[in-house]
Amino acid sequence: MEMNDPLRREKRDAPKPDSSEGGPKAPESVKPGRDNILKRMKRVDPKQSENYKQRTGQ
Amino acid sequence: MIDLPPLMGIETEYGIIRESEKKSDPVEESMQLLKRCSAPSVFGAWAYGRENSHLDMRGFRVGSLAQDEEEDAFCAEDRKRSYSYLEMKCDRVLTNGARFYNDHTHPEYSSPECNDLFQLVAHDVAGEHIVARATQLRNQDLGESSVQLFKNNTDYIGHSYGTHDNYLIAREIPFDDLVQALVPFLVTRQLYAGAGKVGYEGDGEPFHGLQLSQRSDFVETVLSIETMTQRPIINTRDEPHASSKDYRRLHLILGDANMSAYATALKVGTTRLVLGLIARGAGPDFELENPVADVARISRDLNTPLKQTNGKTVTSLEIQFAYLEQAQKVWRDHNEECNWILNEWSRTLSDLQQDPEKLSDRIDWAIKQKLYRQFMESENLGWDDPWLQSLDLEYHNLDPERGLYRGLEQEGQVLELFKGSEIESAIETPPVGSRAWIRGKMVEHYGDDIQSIHWTGLKLKNGDVLDLTSVIKSDEVETWINDNKEKWQWK
Repeated sequence: MEMNDPLRREKRDAPKPDSSEGGPKAPESVKPGRDNILKRMKRVDPKQSENYKQRTGQ
Repeated sequence: MIDLPPLMGIETEYGIIRESEKKSDPVEESMQLLKRCSAPSVFGAWAYGRENSHLDMRGFRVGSLAQDEEEDAFCAEDRKRSYSYLEMKCDRVLTNGARFYNDHTHPEYSSPECNDLFQLVAHDVAGEHIVARATQLRNQDLGESSVQLFKNNTDYIGHSYGTHDNYLIAREIPFDDLVQALVPFLVTRQLYAGAGKVGYEGDGEPFHGLQLSQRSDFVETVLSIETMTQRPIINTRDEPHASSKDYRRLHLILGDANMSAYATALKVGTTRLVLGLIARGAGPDFELENPVADVARISRDLNTPLKQTNGKTVTSLEIQFAYLEQAQKVWRDHNEECNWILNEWSRTLSDLQQDPEKLSDRIDWAIKQKLYRQFMESENLGWDDPWLQSLDLEYHNLDPERGLYRGLEQEGQVLELFKGSEIESAIETPPVGSRAWIRGKMVEHYGDDIQSIHWTGLKLKNGDVLDLTSVIKSDEVETWINDNKEKWQWK
């Protein structure tokens, strides 16, 4: 019943960091996007954290 | 010979708010979110009878677990609600083997247990997407985008919720030895595992700036079974979800919720290697005089000297380099995963030593530091401006159109550990080589037939029981599947 052997049939490689050699590489783009993220930051309500109330968790 | 911990898992409690409500009700909102989860799953069948959270690793049982007075009052109000405690939990077990439920008013995603670091981190990131999809559907129902979810650990006014990393370790390792050898590592791993926090909470010294860690203000003791008060460096709950004769589950509750998958991988990977070192009696020899106070001190100043019981001082970096050096000796070339961890651990400590800004593409607190400093400069703000704490909260928002980390991802400013397809796969598919694979496939193909389900197995409505208590290592999983392949028609 090889057809029903799910471990073998569906075995796949575990996810691996997306890099070919050594460790992951730092992103190449550094400057162009910063203006957009600063615009996104500017849209954050300065009082947002004051309204964010949670209950204690674990 | 004792090897590396065979299984690991991450539990993440998310913050939740409905912004259109003057007083957002976290119990109600968490329930509605869980109900709106569209992922195929078994609903409301968690086997609570198999939970046992009152046993302590130090050899005793506690009558109850503590919470503070405020939470006592909240719970008294909860008992007046029209639904039961179990209905409130809204338990789901997903086809990827994870548990998604409502724990102490926070939606919690507990990853499937994995024997491979990158499968674990992919499944942790998959959890963010599962939570975000449920949020999107909930907001569609409401006709607004008012429900927002945050992968963080604090509301900045003293309420913390957890991100727990778990490791199955051999019972034969003496607990006292484990504590002694592990504490200096745990106290200092925030150098790369800290998610960063603006400001401070609690009764400690006031602090205006960016701390390394979200949880450091909440660590109050070295050992404790508690999780909601007296939070410890090492939690002593003895609930292995496996054979208690063979294993303990080390349940670490001092860690942060990382938005950076790289930081999660480094946090869990280094901890796994250090636990392997300790199992072999090869950990470095440090004993800090006041490790609890050091957690908060390091979070506020990573260069602070730490007093040892031998009268000498040492820095966090020196402690981490010493653990790394030992790990290099024992785990170099053990396998590809170990080499990745060792290489990245070494690179990260070296970068930190030379110039912390070098970490600003992959370590959360360093990403925040660079980002916030730029913003402060452009807006002429100081660290004590309330806007900074709001930005700090928004860094962790899962909304792709609002979250700051999401924005950095979209712009390629932070390191991506996985391809999108790997995360898509982890959303639906359980990890290969662990018993979570069996759980996930049973949920996928026999979900309607499942009467109750738990980490250690499940029971079908026809009375069949799958006991996975002792199905831990990958060869045990493979043997179980081969022995049972005629019975379960997994397609």
